[in-house]
Order: sequence, then C-alpha cells, then structure tokens
Amino acid sequence: MTTFEHAAPEVDSDLRRHGIRLGDLLFKGIAILASLGASVLLVLIAWQIFDLAWPAIQSFGLSFIWTEAWDPVKNQFGALIFIYGTVVTAGIALLIATPLSIAIALFLTEIAPRRVAAPIATMVELLAAIPSVVLGLWGILVFGPWVRDNLEPWIQATPLGALPVFSGDPSQSGIFVAALVLTIMIIPITSAICRELFIRVPQELTDGALALGSTRWEAIRGVMFAYAAPGIVAAVLLGLGRAFGEAIAVNQTIGNRNAIPTSWFEPGDSLGSKIASEYVGATSVEQASSILYLAAILMVISLVTNLLAQFIVVRFERARRAV
Amino acid sequence: MKRILAASLALLAVVALAALAGRTQTASATPQQSASLVGTGATFPFPLISKWIPAVDSALGIKVTYTGTGSGAGIAQITARTVDFGASDAPLSPDQLAACKGCVVIPWALAGMAIMYNVPGLSKRLVLDGPVLSNIYLGNITTWNDAAIRKLNPGVTLPSTKITPAYRSDGSGSTYAYTNYLSAVSPQWKSKVGSGTSVNFPAGTGARGSAGVAGIVRSTEGAIGYADAAYSIANKIPFALIKNRAGGNASPGVRGVSAALCEVPARVTNLDQLKIVDPSAKCGKKAYPISTFTYVIVPTSSGAKAATLRKFIYWAVTAGQKFGPPLYFVPLTKSVDAFVYREIKKIQS
Repeated sequence: MTTFEHAAPEVDSDLRRHGIRLGDLLFKGIAILASLGASVLLVLIAWQIFDLAWPAIQSFGLSFIWTEAWDPVKNQFGALIFIYGTVVTAGIALLIATPLSIAIALFLTEIAPRRVAAPIATMVELLAAIPSVVLGLWGILVFGPWVRDNLEPWIQATPLGALPVFSGDPSQSGIFVAALVLTIMIIPITSAICRELFIRVPQELTDGALALGSTRWEAIRGVMFAYAAPGIVAAVLLGLGRAFGEAIAVNQTIGNRNAIPTSWFEPGDSLGSKIASEYVGATSVEQASSILYLAAILMVISLVTNLLAQFIVVRFERARRAV
Repeated sequence: MKRILAASLALLAVVALAALAGRTQTASATPQQSASLVGTGATFPFPLISKWIPAVDSALGIKVTYTGTGSGAGIAQITARTVDFGASDAPLSPDQLAACKGCVVIPWALAGMAIMYNVPGLSKRLVLDGPVLSNIYLGNITTWNDAAIRKLNPGVTLPSTKITPAYRSDGSGSTYAYTNYLSAVSPQWKSKVGSGTSVNFPAGTGARGSAGVAGIVRSTEGAIGYADAAYSIANKIPFALIKNRAGGNASPGVRGVSAALCEVPARVTNLDQLKIVDPSAKCGKKAYPISTFTYVIVPTSSGAKAATLRKFIYWAVTAGQKFGPPLYFVPLTKSVDAFVYREIKKIQS
C-alpha cells in the first residue's frame, strides 16, 4: 500500500503515456466544476430574486404574505390570494393524484399481464411529455367547458354539493379546473416513480408474506407499501413541487381573478400564474418588485417542499434500518 | 475507434468555435454597413409595426427589429436604454417620465377597442353603453335580460343567460384603453377600480392575451370581452355597437374612431390633449367612444442612432400610416401630426 503511494508522483509525471489518467483528471475537474457551478447558481439566483424584490420587501414587510390585496392602480399588493390559489390547487391535485397514481402503479406491477403493462406504462409516462402550454390550451378549449357542463353540476348533485367550496355557478375556468389540470400533470410523475418503487420490492418479501398465508392485498399493504413508503412520500412531494411551480397551464385555466373565492368553481389565481401573467406588463417599480416578492415566496415554498421530501426519505430510511 | 471519436469531437468543437467567432464578427460589422434599430414593447401595435419593418427597409434602408414584450417591458427597457426605442399603449406617468430621464413620448398609431360578446340567437347587433359596461364589469348587472340592456336594445329578445365578463390577465394596452373609458363614464369604476394596464377586476374571468379573452368569449355562452377591433373583426367574433354621447350607436371601424378625434385641438401641445375616450356629443353620432393611441418612447439624447430614429419615426407617422386602415388602425390626423413633428425634432445625438 505504502509503496503504491510513493509511486504515485512517478505515475503523475508520466501522464502522457497513460492517456486514461489524463481523462480521469479532466473528468474529475469537469464534474467538480459542474457541481460547484450548479450550487453557486442556486445561491446566485436566490440572491438575485431577493435583491430584485427588495423594494417590495422593504415597503410591505412580512405582512405582504398575509395581505389579501392586489391592486396595481392603487399600488396595494399582497400575496395571500396567490398563496391560497397555489396551495389549494396543488392540494386538490395531490389528493386526487396520489391514490390514482398508486393504483396505476399497482395495476402495472401486480395485476396487469406484462404484455398489457408495458404499453400502458409508456402511455402514462408520455402524458408527462405533453407541453404544459398545450395541456392548458386543451384546458381552456375542451376540458374546462366539459367540467363546467358535466363534472361540476354532478358534484353539486352529490352530498358534496352542500359544501361551500362546491357552491355557486359552474365555471369553465377556476380553482377546480386548474387543480384537475394539475392532477393530469402530476399523475405520470408520481405513478412512474411508484411503479419503479414497487418493482424494486424484493420478490422474496412478498413471496414470504404470501407463504405465511396473507392475501394478495395484505401482502401489498403490509409488505410493498411498508417497503416503498419513503419513496412514495418522496414521489408525492415531487409531484407537489411540480404542482406548486406550474405557471402556464394554471394561468390558462384558473381564471386570474385577484380574489380568494368562497367556491372552488370560481376564478382565483396562483403564485406562478400571477408571475407569468403580470411581470412582463408591470409598469411601476412597486408592481414589478411585488411580483418578484411573489417569486421569492414561491421559491421558498418549493425549496422547503424539496427539503422536506429529502428529510422524510432519510428519516424513513433510518427507521426502516432500525427495524 | 475511440481515437476517431475524440478527434472528430475536437474537430467539431473547433469548427463550432470558428463559426461562432465569425458570427460575432459579422454581427458587429452589420450596424456600420446599414442603419439598424432595435425596439420592444406593446403587442397591440405589433401587426402594424410588422408591416412597417419590410417597408421602411426598402424605402429608407433602415433595419428595424421589434419584439412585442408588452408595454411595461417597453417602458422598462427604454428606461434602462437596452433598446433604441420602446413602445407603450399607455402614455408614461409623471413618475415613469422622470425615471426615463429625458424621453419623448410620441403617438404613432390609433385604434378602437371592440366589445365582443357571445349571446346566440339575437336578431340584431347588440347595443351597449358606458354605464352598462361598467356595471357588467363591476358585477352589478349579471344577466343579459337586465332592464338596462333591454332598454338599449328595443325589439330584441334577450335571454336570461348569466353574463361572464372576460378580461386580460396580462398587463396590456387593451386593458388600459378599456378601463380608461370605464373610468371616464362611471364614477364608481373610477373610485373602485381605476385605469391602468393591469387593474383589479372585481368580477369575471381573466385570460392571457387577446386570444385568451376571445377564447373565453367563444366557448362561454353569455360571455363578454374586449380586444382591439382588428382582432375581433379578423376572428369574426361579433362586437357590440356602443352608444356615444350624441346618442348614436357607433362601430369601432376606422370612421368611428377618426370621428372621435374631433375634440383634439388644432395645435396639440401636450399628450393630455389627446384624450379620445368618451368624446362629447359634438363629435357626432358616428364617434366610437373606446379608442386608444399607442406611443413610441425615445430618449432625447440617442447618440449615433438619433438621425436614424428621427427618419424611422417620421416615416412611420407619415408614409407608414397608410398600412393602418386594412388592420383597423386609424391614420393620425393633421392636428396630431404637428405635435408629433415637434417631438421628433427633440431626438438629438
């Protein structure tokens, strides 16, 4: 071992003959540069956003976050309307997408014969390949009117219709339509990750559970879910991050009203959507910096969601190892 | 095999670098060969400017590049001097003018805003007026068979459909022109909402761009929305006639908008005199009350580009105006021209 270390300088000086070593060195350098660059970029972007938002942060302070106002004419700005829109649309999307994604993943790994599973899996993943602006366009022209004419009246006819969030007139653009479009966007992500997780559950574990007399459902619930739990949580949070950050498709379907509506069928707005629609046309420093303040809030929310996902994965992993 | 791959990769990199170097060389050489201008801003005059670009190139050899980024971006970028000219549908506010440090704001096109609607089965074109429009957008009038709308449309059977007002979610000159009109006709609108390129609409649904607003109007029975006349006509969306102060039901065509110019003084001395929304009764029954100028913003000290800018803008407000009418832009009148010429002269190196 020691002799090898002593020999190292000699090898270094002889780099030309050992072309591979030079390549290694180059590769190492590029890798370090790239990863350093990416981390520096994150810090720089965050710093810039806060710097540009500074005039608004200074004049509105932290109360901007819970102020329900957005009036470019009177120069009154606050983020609550958009935080509400972002959290509620993403929340509804998650609530619908999570069970559906797990069901899709289970169907593809456990129930469907392989010949059927492969093409369906590809199709579901291709759903993610639809550009969000195209999905939004479909939302305006096809999906929104359908939801207004069929889905929303149907919900109102069920006992759910008694809830204030499902009250009022059905509308083709609003919080609910945007949430459904987001659902469609995150299902391919979460279901693809869940499928991957279920495939990786060791066959011996499920076989063992089945041999001990558990039913197929018990094996899935007791073994597969337990094994894949941290991954599922991470997948869900990844979908949540996607939903939080989506701007264009939401912008096209949420209805863009500066208000917190009682009914989810009514128009509202989200952080990403507001930034996308108003920044370019912002005419005053207050308005432009307030929009960047919204961007800073969105960035913090997204970063926290991501950190949370990583934290949960680590915790689960540790807990599982302890067991 | 690997060596060949590496060699070809290296070759590719060298070629790419050389090409890039060559490109930057030619790019930096171009402005010296011929006059070029870069501008950005309002999307509303974009159809007209895109007709101007090839025409001014063949007439004067001036190469103009224009990107429709929105009025706000146009103001911001000319303030930062990253472009040669900015364009905006709203004239600069006193604060913005001060921030721009010696900019002139020159009106260079004019057009009407159409009120589009989707009410199937009407026997005649719908007639609306300022108070009704402001009450619809304030959420006070909610159905099409409201007494106020019925009164404006005698003999027309109006359905009880709910009204869905649609508006622009992005900052836009159309919104400025429309809310400017609503503020002029409705004290309640003026105090509660006001006018601007983006305002806090108390009712209705927002959508991105004229296409988005038109999309809502098309797909929603009972919807109403606004867009420049050219857009509404080109896309065959029915538009309403607007009752003016003379009691006429005016249409947003070239004639209706030019009639609204009657109050502009013979010798315009400042931008405030270019008020054309809600003109008084003396403009006649044809005068369309919802129109807007759109402006070019240029620094008074434009360095080496000054002469080219003067030439281009002079061409735009004279020869360039003939491209307007097919696009439903209204040629500037003589009274405006005199003001425009004086402002152009202020552009110096």
